[in-house]
Amino acid sequence: MDKPPPLRADSDQPAPPAARGRRPEFTDDPMLDRLYSVTLALVAELAVTRARLDTVERLLARRSVVGAEEIEAYRPADAEEVEARSRLHSEYLERVFREFTPATRGDTPR
Amino acid sequence: MSSDPAWRSWSLVRRNTMEMRQQAGRSLVARQATALRDRAQALNEGAATLQLDPSLPVPRYVSAVDTHLMRGGYTAEQLEGDVSNPANYDAGFFATVGGMAGPWNDAAGRALAAWLQREHPDFQPQRIADLGCGLGHNTLPLRHAFPQAHIVAVDVAAPFLRYGHARARSLGIDDVEFRQQDATATSLPDASCDLVFTTMVLHETSADALPRILAECKRLLRPGGLAIHLEQPPYRRFPPFEQFMRDWDGRWNNEPFWTSLHEMDLTERMARAGFMPGEIFETECRAPALVAADGRAEDFGRSPVWYAVGAWQTADETAAAVG
Repeated sequence: MDKPPPLRADSDQPAPPAARGRRPEFTDDPMLDRLYSVTLALVAELAVTRARLDTVERLLARRSVVGAEEIEAYRPADAEEVEARSRLHSEYLERVFREFTPATRGDTPR
Repeated sequence: MSSDPAWRSWSLVRRNTMEMRQQAGRSLVARQATALRDRAQALNEGAATLQLDPSLPVPRYVSAVDTHLMRGGYTAEQLEGDVSNPANYDAGFFATVGGMAGPWNDAAGRALAAWLQREHPDFQPQRIADLGCGLGHNTLPLRHAFPQAHIVAVDVAAPFLRYGHARARSLGIDDVEFRQQDATATSLPDASCDLVFTTMVLHETSADALPRILAECKRLLRPGGLAIHLEQPPYRRFPPFEQFMRDWDGRWNNEPFWTSLHEMDLTERMARAGFMPGEIFETECRAPALVAADGRAEDFGRSPVWYAVGAWQTADETAAAVG
């Protein structure tokens, strides 16, 4: 009989094998390609962590005891909350991708 | 272009996000693999409407490619009765398209149903075949649109049929048949269908299989029946930059037939399959905007629209499909 699945939404499984087929390299430096992979994966991991943290903070504001199953089953209370969380997420992406955005990136030749 | 930093950055983000989506989807289903298998088995128990065939050879264009970078592709099974890859696909597709296909990922099927009901309101197909149905997400809208119809959904991939059949049952639909067969040669009799369709299938076939699938559609249709294929639009409609951007998946998202398909003239291919040129057409199928609980239409800013190529079977044809 299997154990019930762990009550966490983030990935606590080992990394699965990659898809078959040659993996493209988009820069001239394999180190740089790998740095992109790590960085982008961190973006995702942190995004999930922040979303969960926001959930915990909201719940803590409302009651004094919070169970893991409450975090798993959490649904936003209303459209305003959905919008606020969505806005937080957008602003987070803007900060992380500042170097990709003309308005916020540093002064480089390209 | 390949040395352009903007293109390189965008490609890196695109490739990595697809890999990450697959990783997250795989992790999501891996820890539920046994539970999902058991649920599917319970839903499928004793059903004559799920007909698997372990002896069916899987075409190499399916078995050799991890389409969309999903490890194992359509046919891999981690355990007996496995449904984890289709579960990954079902959950992950929603993320990949940003929910654009709707909560049930079925916008293409709904687009086809809406097009039929609007453009051909007198056409009431009683016998419908969905070739290359995958997990049946685009099959069920046809069942909703034509509740009296008998629908057969065909695919070569056992895990997807298993999952699709269970998914349909869990949604209250227990009379769609899911059969493990090859779309180039089904067991359906000649002229036995009123409507035969594919949704986003042709670009995942091959130069060899495509004409045989189109010919199979010809064989299956009774006079007055319709074959219609929803797909990505052909490149010829777009300026070079747009073509370049749309071709990315063909090169770097494990879609080996993508470029070829988009450069084809599918109307010409339908003619080669034996359809009369005057009965072949190109059109667009648009999914109706979904309506949220408070009555607002949720269009997400842009409606999903599919290019479609189709042909009506005329009444006076006697020849078999042109080989």
